[in-house]
Amino acid sequence: MRNATGKSLFLLVILSLVLAACAPAAAPALAGEAGAAEPIKLTHWIGVGTGGSEQAECTIANVVEPYNEMTEGVTVETVLQPNVWEAMRTAVAGGGGPDIVTTPGPSFVFEMAKSGQLLPLSDYAEQLGWADTFAPWALSLGLVEGELYSVPHELETLILYYNKTVFEENGWTPPATFDEMVALSQQIADAGIIPFAHTNGEWRAANEWFIGEFLNHVSGPDNVYLALTGQKPWTDPEFVEAIDLLTDMQLNGWFMGGLDRYYTGTDDERRVMLGDGVAAMTIEGTWALDNMSNYFGEAAGNNNEWDVIAVPSVTGEDIYDLGIGSTYSINAASPNPDAAAEFLTYYFSPESQATLLVECGVAPAPVTLTEEQLTGLDPRFAKAFAGLTQASDEGNYGYTTWTFWPPKSDVYIYEEIEKVWAGQITSEQYLQGLQDLFQEELEAGDIPPIPEREVSS
Amino acid sequence: MANSDQAAMPTPSAPLSRQDGRSPWKRRYRKYVVPWMFALPILLINIIVVIGPSLSAVYYSLTDWSGIGAGEFIGLENYRKILFSDMDYRRAFLNNLAWLAFFLTVPFAVSLFAASMLARIRRGSMFFRTALFIPYVLPAVITASIWRNLLSPTLGIGALLADWGISGLDVAWLGRPQTALISIAFVDNWHFWGFLMVLFLSAMQGIPPELYEAARIDGASRWQEFRHITVPGIRPTIVFMLLMVAIWSFLVFDYVWILTQGGPAGSSEVLGTLVYKQAFMRFEAGYASAIGLTMSLLAGMVISLFLYLRRRGWEI
Repeated sequence: MRNATGKSLFLLVILSLVLAACAPAAAPALAGEAGAAEPIKLTHWIGVGTGGSEQAECTIANVVEPYNEMTEGVTVETVLQPNVWEAMRTAVAGGGGPDIVTTPGPSFVFEMAKSGQLLPLSDYAEQLGWADTFAPWALSLGLVEGELYSVPHELETLILYYNKTVFEENGWTPPATFDEMVALSQQIADAGIIPFAHTNGEWRAANEWFIGEFLNHVSGPDNVYLALTGQKPWTDPEFVEAIDLLTDMQLNGWFMGGLDRYYTGTDDERRVMLGDGVAAMTIEGTWALDNMSNYFGEAAGNNNEWDVIAVPSVTGEDIYDLGIGSTYSINAASPNPDAAAEFLTYYFSPESQATLLVECGVAPAPVTLTEEQLTGLDPRFAKAFAGLTQASDEGNYGYTTWTFWPPKSDVYIYEEIEKVWAGQITSEQYLQGLQDLFQEELEAGDIPPIPEREVSS
Repeated sequence: MANSDQAAMPTPSAPLSRQDGRSPWKRRYRKYVVPWMFALPILLINIIVVIGPSLSAVYYSLTDWSGIGAGEFIGLENYRKILFSDMDYRRAFLNNLAWLAFFLTVPFAVSLFAASMLARIRRGSMFFRTALFIPYVLPAVITASIWRNLLSPTLGIGALLADWGISGLDVAWLGRPQTALISIAFVDNWHFWGFLMVLFLSAMQGIPPELYEAARIDGASRWQEFRHITVPGIRPTIVFMLLMVAIWSFLVFDYVWILTQGGPAGSSEVLGTLVYKQAFMRFEAGYASAIGLTMSLLAGMVISLFLYLRRRGWEI
């Protein structure tokens, strides 16, 4: 019996030790408190997303490793994560996670900042001159209640890709205005070609690409700005017109040849259709620039070429809708925030961002890149990013839904539009639902920061 | 020998503590404490990963929690919304009922038929069992991806048949509101029914063969054998699987999410996908918790019905 009791107690002690070992460790001393010679390790999780692990590895080889070599006492340790956002939010919520926190966009930063999971960055921005590095509007996207919590990365926009060979063969010229694009779509359909290779079969949120484009390019970015800042309701006629127009084009079968095909086609399938000339155009993000060439030319089994232009607007003005693919912040639990801020300064320098774009195909942050820095870049890439950068610098830009709309309204935008296309509700009812939800989020203060804009009267 | 045994036995009048040489405290310790110590690790794990989150879900369902940070207590507002104003919930619930109706009939009919056929096969039966069971062990994402292509109007079976001159099947089954849900159910059933068939086949092998012989002597037809011997013989298995399938039908998520994400136009939305969207896309984790609890409640109702029928004497 004594032995049995002893064994039980022994087991209990072991169990207690195991549980104690599971408890979170005390935070190590801050970098500033530690001795100057003490080496600092920063953790940085890199997502393995659409660019695949090759893009992540390229980032490490071209940007992170050179940083580790040039700095003494600071090492950035990278970890590749296939589902980085889910892993990140869980780890950070539990008081852990990496020093550098990345999110899929400013609206995700909002909740984390309000919960005290991120470090305020305003002082670092001032000390390290971030305002001189980023475009004027860019840092304001990271503001939460007046304090900077994130800096934007991966500036993206939607552009019109078209099959240049098919256009030339049929004597079509790229449309300069929205009306021209509509008229051209009819011509293309009459020629037995699908005007737009659009699907949402693999990415249902792709609906929002077109809704955002139509709102900005038909209703105009000024009106969108007014609505985003609560100065105009989403039910105004100019927005109804945009949604009606989108619905007409969708129901005409101009997107993929029919609504049911639009819902089931894959991304690969539609790009093959564009490359082979079965479809003539597609509105897609700059993220597709990197692999569009895979669908054209001899290797793809056709002799076609492609090109890009800005998505036409009703005024004929080039409008690029700004989108942010990800944001960078510093974990509030980071023991080395100063070192993390130094790394961010390096990472977001125009030199590093140009390297990421040219070498790895990673969309750059909204920083000004010189022509020299973009040497070697495909001219179509350069054209798209030059237009985007110019629009961003001049303040003449539109708004992508995933960057500037609050989360509930954003999901509503791309989910409920299908009910309009299915004839279950009208465009007016759809926009009324958006207005109600948006107003609720506006009153709750959940709208991502909207940079100031001079609205032309 | 008998005497020495008797000498070793404690006398009835002697106190028990002295009989086995242990104090009452040690006896109680051994009886009440030691078993708990052995159960403690699994109990702790259960509290941490099951009971704790379950109780927290009940709490969060009464808040407007976004999924990050703290939530504000809002009472029964989430439940009021579910019951009276959320049309998406209503639609998803009805889709779950349709799913339930499909899975309580089609896979059971198919697997009972196939099991009764296979039960008669002596040579090569293992091949058929294995072949029909394989889809069950394939990951959902693989099965769904295969069927996404097979059901594609441009790449799938329908397109192939159209090339051969058989038109009418090259439609986007997953892209039409009228056919999306039933198409997903078809794909899920393709992966599931083999499992059900193997269970029924195993149960059928427990039925005494003499019953079939006697029935044949009495001139019973195949259908009569099936109805009066096979089905009653495997009734506990059938009813248990009906219970499990009913519970699973309220939890369905993977195939719907992979194939349509609830679309088009909400036509294939189920409660599982609705919970996911509310929690991780709309950042309404409190509301998602409330929906999740209604799913648990529905599963609880099914279990209660099962227990009730057992108490009423049903052999299930």
